[in-house]
Amino acid sequence: MTNTVDIKGAAGATGRPRQGEPARPPQAAPGRPRQPRRTASLWRRMKAARWLYLMLVPGLIHLILFKLAPVSALVIAFQDFSTFLGIGGSPWVGFQNFIDFFNDPNIGRLVLNTLILAVLVLVVSFPIPILFALGLNEVRLRWFGKGVQTLSFVPYFVSSAVLVSIMYTLMSPNGGVVNSVITAFGGSPVSFFTEPEWFRPLYTTMHVWQNFGYSVIIYVAAMASIDPALYEAAELDGAGRWRKMFSVTLPGISTIISVLLILSVGQILTVDLDKILLMYNPSVYETADVIQTYVYRLAFASEGFPDYSYAAAVGLIQGLIAFVLVVATNRASERFSGSRVF
Amino acid sequence: MTTMQTKRNRPRRRVELFDIVNGLILGLIAIACIYPFVYIVAVALSDGKAVLQNQVFLWPVDINFETFAYILTNERLGVVRALLNSILYTVVGTIVAVVLTYLTAYALSKKRLPGGRIVMLLFIITWIFDAGIVPAYIVNSGLGLTNNWLIMVLPLAISTFLLIVTKSFIEAIPDELEESASLDGANDLQILRQIYLPLSTPVVATISIFYAVQTWNSFLWPLIYLRDTALQPIQVVLYRLLLGSNDQALNFQQTVSNGFLVIPENIRAATMLFAIVPVLLFYPYAQRYFSKGILVGAVKG
Repeated sequence: MTNTVDIKGAAGATGRPRQGEPARPPQAAPGRPRQPRRTASLWRRMKAARWLYLMLVPGLIHLILFKLAPVSALVIAFQDFSTFLGIGGSPWVGFQNFIDFFNDPNIGRLVLNTLILAVLVLVVSFPIPILFALGLNEVRLRWFGKGVQTLSFVPYFVSSAVLVSIMYTLMSPNGGVVNSVITAFGGSPVSFFTEPEWFRPLYTTMHVWQNFGYSVIIYVAAMASIDPALYEAAELDGAGRWRKMFSVTLPGISTIISVLLILSVGQILTVDLDKILLMYNPSVYETADVIQTYVYRLAFASEGFPDYSYAAAVGLIQGLIAFVLVVATNRASERFSGSRVF
Repeated sequence: MTTMQTKRNRPRRRVELFDIVNGLILGLIAIACIYPFVYIVAVALSDGKAVLQNQVFLWPVDINFETFAYILTNERLGVVRALLNSILYTVVGTIVAVVLTYLTAYALSKKRLPGGRIVMLLFIITWIFDAGIVPAYIVNSGLGLTNNWLIMVLPLAISTFLLIVTKSFIEAIPDELEESASLDGANDLQILRQIYLPLSTPVVATISIFYAVQTWNSFLWPLIYLRDTALQPIQVVLYRLLLGSNDQALNFQQTVSNGFLVIPENIRAATMLFAIVPVLLFYPYAQRYFSKGILVGAVKG
């Protein structure tokens, strides 16, 4: 089963005959000019597919209203949008919102926070599932391996709201277990969620806790598909456990490692907005405020009038950079391993 | 799970130090993943006094159900209402999403559909290029979806990722089945119902689980669109409990109920359990199909 969709071929393909299509009836062909024949056959094909179009209608409405319309609503980034005047009536301001962004006194902090958080999460959360899967691969008690994998995947299903609440309870200065341990060893309680220097470690820990089970599944599956004959050959050559791990298992999953790494780089700007919004408060803005939370605050949590246009402009810049990153890394993955996500 | 079944059947070997250390590390990580949940259960069932005196670590101290009784009888907290909301959104949202995704994937999987590739391309482009939360808000509020629970159903009804997963699955079903049926005069709707749907149980189960978990756990959308507290799902109410004293309706310090102290930590822990239990009930089923979905969605090495 493959999930690759050919982007390059899709654009110019409407007029071409498709694979697997039944041959046109021969009587339609002779003696007629080229152009009308083509449109007639297109019309016939469309008529033959009328039930398919009927099935496509709900999906098409969804695509237009909830996927395409928001993209066209981005024009408000070039306006001074007001909800009373609407998109049609709001005055145009050209690139003013973008110029404002580069003069925004917050921009340095926002970009820096976004990058630090992204790099920290990537560096910490990428190797952990690989090491975990390597360890799991060496377990010979099947029930134990299965049990460990099952438990490690539980947090993935739990919402960010619950995970943050759990962390909050664990680390609460009023009777949280972490602070109990700290005080038992003679320290003084730490208010983790209001101290800026604790935001990044906490966010990264939660990210790993929530997501590593997901990657472990991919790696374990890749390891299971390594040819057992390779291990037998290595054993005949006198390879020990470590030798096999480094010379058979790791090379066996190296492609999937590279692909996942490339893709995570592509996703680097996608912070988990839910999690940050749940965790942050004005006392940690210094480290926790990233571009997306800033957009959220401008539009939905500002004290005065919400500045939709400016927020949309900032969001558009972020969206464009993310788009370029994803497309570029996807290309890289394709060149590297012949596989791509879309 | 299938991934563990291909373990090599080698003759039993001596247990080495490596096995013990490896087992210990993996076991500790697994426990670390699960311990916070155990702690929450303990806090929810303990007397508030014991929590304040740092006595609760693993087991409930002075076990009681007063916190649950308090949550279930105090409408002011809105937890019961929020749970019912979440259940409604999840059930309706999942059904709508699965029907829409399957129909769209089926139509787009047929190469003989003129224009199908353009539609697919638009789905993919809008997937990679995220317009952001603000333009979406302008559109959705224009459609009257603010303070309207359909916001939890309609915009999330087709995830492009799951559309691709479903479409790949349908494409892998042999064309011969369809051809013989269409020779018998069946139309596409009949072919879908009688041939494809019965063969699609695995993918329908997979995407149902994805959509259900996504809707149940959804936080940002209800936070932005459902300002009316009567419409909020459990995740948002949990957030308001976390903010605590800033929130008038939830301004709750502590109370004594049948001789047990109930403190905000108890209330929060019990609400978290309400928010987790439905997910955990489906976990064994979810884990199986989620893994399949991940592997279908994952790039092939």
